[in-house]
Amino acid sequence: MNTTCSPRNCTPATSGVTESLRKPLYNINGNAEAYDIRVELPGVPKSSVKLDLEEDILSIRGERSTTVPEGMKTLHRELSPLNYLLRLRLNAPVNEEQMVAQFEDGVLSLRLPLKEVAKPRQIPVL
Amino acid sequence: MKLIRTHPFSINRVSDFEGWFRHPLAGLPSLSSFINNLGEAFPGVAGDKLAVDVHEDKDNYFASFEVPGVKKEDVKLELNNGLLTVSAEKRTKDGEKETSSSLTRSVSVPDGVNAEAIAAKLTDGILTVTLPKQERNKPRSITLS
Repeated sequence: MNTTCSPRNCTPATSGVTESLRKPLYNINGNAEAYDIRVELPGVPKSSVKLDLEEDILSIRGERSTTVPEGMKTLHRELSPLNYLLRLRLNAPVNEEQMVAQFEDGVLSLRLPLKEVAKPRQIPVL
Repeated sequence: MKLIRTHPFSINRVSDFEGWFRHPLAGLPSLSSFINNLGEAFPGVAGDKLAVDVHEDKDNYFASFEVPGVKKEDVKLELNNGLLTVSAEKRTKDGEKETSSSLTRSVSVPDGVNAEAIAAKLTDGILTVTLPKQERNKPRSITLS
C-alpha cells in the first residue's frame, strides 16, 4: 500500500502491487530537518534490503531468507514467509545525497534530510 | 527390508507438537508485557507476543522467534519445568527519547529434549533456539539380516 507522508501525518493511498508481499511495521518521525523512518524487517539479511527513491516515491524492499532449510518438517507456523514491500510517498523534497541508511538486528533506520526549500523559515518582523 | 522404529510417543506426531502450546502457561503474555500493552497507542504493534515457528529434523527441534530491533544482550531464555520462555527487551529510539517494551513468549518443550544442549542464536532479528533430541528419541532404523 502506498502512503502519503508529511512530517506530521501519513494517509494511505491506493496501490497497484500484484506480487504477494506484505507491508512491514514502520514508524516515521519528522521534524523541521529530516524524516526518520524505522522499518522492521525481521528475517531479512542486510544484502537483501533494497532501497529506491524514484521521484517522490521511496520503496523499501526486503527479501526474507528461507527460514526452513530442506529436510526440515514444520510443526507450527506463525511467521509469514512473504517478502516485504513498503512504498512511501514523500511530500517534501529530500536531500538524496545526504540520505543515511542503517540496518541492524532486522531493523532498517533511514534518515532523509529535507532540502533547504522545504525547511521552515523564520521571518523577522522589522 | 528396513524396519523403522520410532519412539512410541512419536507415533502421535500431531498431538505431540500441539503439546508445545498446551502447557497451562504457554502463550500467555507476562504481566509486565500486558501492562506495556495498555499504554500502547497501536495495540498489537510493539507489545505483541512474539510470533514463533517450530520445525524439526531428525536430530533437533528448532523454535524461531521474531525479535526485530532486539540486541543479543537484551534476550533472556529460560527453561523451567518443561516450559521454554523467551523474554526480550526492545529499545526504540524515538527522536531524543528512548522507549522500551517487553516481549515474551513461552512454549512447552516435549519430553526427550536434551536440556543441557539447548543453544540459541540471533540473526537479522530472528532468534533461533535449537533443542537437540535425546538419543533414545531419535528414530532408529534396524536392518534385518
